[in-house]
Amino acid sequence: MRARVAQFLLITALVLTATTSRADVAVVLVADKDSPIESISSLNIRKVYLGIPVTIGGHAVRGFRRRDDERLNQIFLQSVIAMSERSYERRLLSLVLKFGTPRPTEVDNHGELLESLANNSSSIAYMWKSEAESNSNLKIIRVLWQET
Amino acid sequence: MLNSRKSASTSNRWVRAFVRLVLLVAMVSNQLARAESQQDILVFVSLEGFDIFSASDPGLEGFDRRATADFLYTYNSDRFRFLAEYVWSNTESELERMQAAWQVNDRTMLWFGRFHTIANYWASEYHHGQFMQTSISRPGLEEWEDENGPMPSHITGLWLEHEFSVNGQSAVNLGLVAGLAPKFEGEHLSPFDILDPESGHDMTVSARVVYRPDVLSTNKIGLTLAHNDIAVVSESSPNLTNLNSILQTTLGVFSDWQWDVWRLSTNWVYFDVEMQYGNGDVQDDFVLGYLQGEYEATENWTVFGRTEIGFGEDNSLYLQLLPSVVSHRNMLGVRWDFVDSHSLTLEVADTSTQGNGLEHDRFKELRIQWSAVFP
Repeated sequence: MRARVAQFLLITALVLTATTSRADVAVVLVADKDSPIESISSLNIRKVYLGIPVTIGGHAVRGFRRRDDERLNQIFLQSVIAMSERSYERRLLSLVLKFGTPRPTEVDNHGELLESLANNSSSIAYMWKSEAESNSNLKIIRVLWQET
Repeated sequence: MLNSRKSASTSNRWVRAFVRLVLLVAMVSNQLARAESQQDILVFVSLEGFDIFSASDPGLEGFDRRATADFLYTYNSDRFRFLAEYVWSNTESELERMQAAWQVNDRTMLWFGRFHTIANYWASEYHHGQFMQTSISRPGLEEWEDENGPMPSHITGLWLEHEFSVNGQSAVNLGLVAGLAPKFEGEHLSPFDILDPESGHDMTVSARVVYRPDVLSTNKIGLTLAHNDIAVVSESSPNLTNLNSILQTTLGVFSDWQWDVWRLSTNWVYFDVEMQYGNGDVQDDFVLGYLQGEYEATENWTVFGRTEIGFGEDNSLYLQLLPSVVSHRNMLGVRWDFVDSHSLTLEVADTSTQGNGLEHDRFKELRIQWSAVFP
């Protein structure tokens, strides 16, 4: 009987741990804590990252991307932009070629991203929820994707 | 076609101008750098080999090759935008575009400088970015004016572009252009040379309306209208003797649509041409068009084909002044995309050009090309 109770408690603990860790694995949209951006629709997020002008509070919204996290980029492209990486890159190239439209700025790492957001109050970026929560200079605007 | 070899001195002049321009923009950019700004440099490269065989005129047969590098520089600050495109190849070296824009608001841009005309759909879609177009060849209708195209591609002047949003999801774009048209010289049109403002060109005006049902997709349908007053250098060819100018009006309808793995692009242009000779005017009208279909068999492989036809073009007196213009072509091709931004493409085509009389020159074409974009 004691062994069965122990087994039950162990399984429950494992399930709870797994559930908690899955809920923690999420991608969020962030901005600097002083940014005038409080909310942004899914359509406008896609527009920003496809080079289509979006203005909030009189300022053009700028999107930042990170080069160093392939999984994060894949999740963002599939879940938010709904495009393969190749199609997405082609679309951006096409806009540069046609109109000189600036591409979303790419940064090398998390530190550089934080600095860029701090220097550009009307900018947004996507990152892991755990990274966003650990930095008090950021505010989470919305959850973009959550592991289920 | 590779008959537009420029002189070495002209090439050097363009290179010097381009270098000076980039230095100037870099200096200005430095001053503006305190404001939020962004620069981008892209290089489109391609190596192409093509063979012409089974020709009605054996003199047309033979193998040729072309190596091309297209340098694109863009600069953006809050309300200012600058774009320069320079093409270097083994057959030409030319500053293709040099344009600056004032962004009036989110939806309105006012460009000035030298740019590709909005009335030429292919030119304004792919410019010189060979990697961006699925096929190797351009439709004859859409060829560059100095490579036997029937209508202007490069305009120097003003371009106003405005987007009307429809329910936030759809859009209608309106473009208006006024500027200097090419002139007719020898057997082709020559665009205005900004380094030689006295080169004698007349005016052009054009408009384009494009409807995009979903701004997030590339699907679109549009109308173009242009009126080109083309000056003629009568002494440059016996065919142009006594011809003073050409008034060309074009009305076009184009579309580019994608359904899952299928894509269809098409453009049809009606030409109304008045050739003003010393002893009277000659009227001419005809239609040129094409239909290109693409099938994305896998993520990396695309099969495509295009048919180019016309109505009234066989007896067109205007097109007889352009003997190398492609009037008919049936083409099939396959493209393989590999690594991130590289592609290999193979094309075969049954083609006829206008020729020197009422008889077309007919031949087969085989093309192979590697193209890429850096970085």
